[in-house]
Amino acid sequence: MQLSVKDLDYIIEGTKVLDAVSLCVEEGGFVGLIGPNGCGKSTLLKNIYKTYKPERNAVFISGKDVMEMPPKEMAGEVSVVAQENNVEFDVEVLDMVMYGRYAHRRFLEGEKKEDIELCRQFLREVGMEGYEHRMYLSLSGGEKQRVLLARALTQQSRLIVLDEPTNHLDVRYQYLIMQTLKKQKITVFSSIHDLNIASMYCDKIILMDRGRIVAVGRPEEIITEKYMQEVFGVRSQIKVNEITGKIQIYYLSDNCKDC
Amino acid sequence: MKNHKIIRGRGQYLALMASVCALLLLAAGFSVSIGAVETKPIDILKIIINKISGGEWFVRTWEENMETIIWNIRFPRVIMSCIVGAGLSVCGVLMQALTKNALADPYVLGISSGASAGAVAAIVLGWFGFMGGYSTIAGAVLGAAVSIILSLNIASYRRRITSSRLVLAGIATAALFTAVTNLIIYGGNSGSDKTKTAQYWMVGSLSGADWDKVKYVSIVFALIILLIMLFVNELDVLLLGDDAAESLGVNTGRIKLVIILAATALTGVVVSVSGVIGFIGLVVPHIVRTFVGSKHKRLLPAVILTGGLFTMLADVVSRIIIAPEELPIGIISAFIGAPFFLYLIKKNRAK
Repeated sequence: MQLSVKDLDYIIEGTKVLDAVSLCVEEGGFVGLIGPNGCGKSTLLKNIYKTYKPERNAVFISGKDVMEMPPKEMAGEVSVVAQENNVEFDVEVLDMVMYGRYAHRRFLEGEKKEDIELCRQFLREVGMEGYEHRMYLSLSGGEKQRVLLARALTQQSRLIVLDEPTNHLDVRYQYLIMQTLKKQKITVFSSIHDLNIASMYCDKIILMDRGRIVAVGRPEEIITEKYMQEVFGVRSQIKVNEITGKIQIYYLSDNCKDC
Repeated sequence: MKNHKIIRGRGQYLALMASVCALLLLAAGFSVSIGAVETKPIDILKIIINKISGGEWFVRTWEENMETIIWNIRFPRVIMSCIVGAGLSVCGVLMQALTKNALADPYVLGISSGASAGAVAAIVLGWFGFMGGYSTIAGAVLGAAVSIILSLNIASYRRRITSSRLVLAGIATAALFTAVTNLIIYGGNSGSDKTKTAQYWMVGSLSGADWDKVKYVSIVFALIILLIMLFVNELDVLLLGDDAAESLGVNTGRIKLVIILAATALTGVVVSVSGVIGFIGLVVPHIVRTFVGSKHKRLLPAVILTGGLFTMLADVVSRIIIAPEELPIGIISAFIGAPFFLYLIKKNRAK
């Protein structure tokens, strides 16, 4: 399994939001997508999971053009945790997770025992055991996000694409979600807001700015003082954390005299 | 509502269904027995058994015209009220799945008005004359198709439908097609009863029920229910939104087409026999959802039975409230539905 994007352009109302984007996510990788707000991260991801319709011959999964893939086949390959997830009609948490099995069901097939077992297993993994019969809309933001992650994992695809999955969550859940993802035998491609989290979990980082890919590499090659200044416009100091061995970023304020 | 739990166990669900069925039978019995001609319940039962079995199981101890009233006037009307109510409620569920909005139903979206205009065009202007007795249905279905396309196009903006746009699109569509209906009736020289005809088509009434109509409405109804029961899994997932459903593997284009075709045909056929009865598709699904949840495999059967019961009771009320005169049932449904609609709008805003 491999995701590749070749020369993808995307225009929204006359503005080129994606400009000749090419990238590759290898099987088994944990790839982070970073960049300032409005740089095109979400647009790129939406092109990959077809919420936006990409051009033909631009987005490939296992060598196949996504535009040639029917929805069920696509869902078997890619699961999605998107940003907007409002529902009007409430459902129980277990049912919400069960929808992840839709692509694996034949026409008119009901819920199988194994499916329910799988849902419970992934609810356990995201720490939502015991919430099976709670109503989805009664949950907090962090709980909803974890349920949606469980739903995506229940889909048992080989690639999972996430759009800032830890946004608005407090620290504990940010790490819990990334930890859960890391444990799975699944290729991960996720846009990530928090750069320290990106450096901690990703084995490859793609840096975007103004619709283009600026750099691709290991976290220590991408999260550098130079790129922080050039792309994000902030001064920073980057050090290796003694305990984790991962790089850690400190932001420096402009009116700090000694630095 | 916070602590209210939806029914999950199969036994509980079946028990609920059985009790609604029992109420439905009781209501049907009561509905057949009321009217200007006094009847004994036992006689009604005997007449119905004789008629259904086709034999003379019970010796006739009643007058022949009473038999006609029971069997040819009241009974088809009761069945008709049941199917019309069930049909409108199912249409409500379908439109709600399509728009992901609890405010959607064929009346609110103006589709009933479109169907009504089409039916009137067929009757007064003689459209679809080549279809003989089925020309009214053909006109109503065509009207429903035109109005559903118009209404949904106005309501959606960048592939999303907000509550305010939906309501506004419905008002505009309904206003347009009501004007068309009136224009045809008043301009079409259809005789002396113009006001009455116009009122019949715009307020909705079950007074025209007979066995012929019952026959074709029930056939269309049964076929459409069979069709949509094939797609219950897809309908469930669609409620999460088009994008989410697509990424979970649902062919959203196909299921939406099925919904539009089913809702158009069903609304058209129902309106062709009853005119515009409002709000049933709004009220019934909303109430039923709070008991059985929104999974369509359970929701649809429950909505069919409850919609039938609700409408049958509304029909009873419309016949006794100013007896011996009767009110069009659309007035009763609006008195219940309009405040309910306001409540939903208010609740929607709070969200």
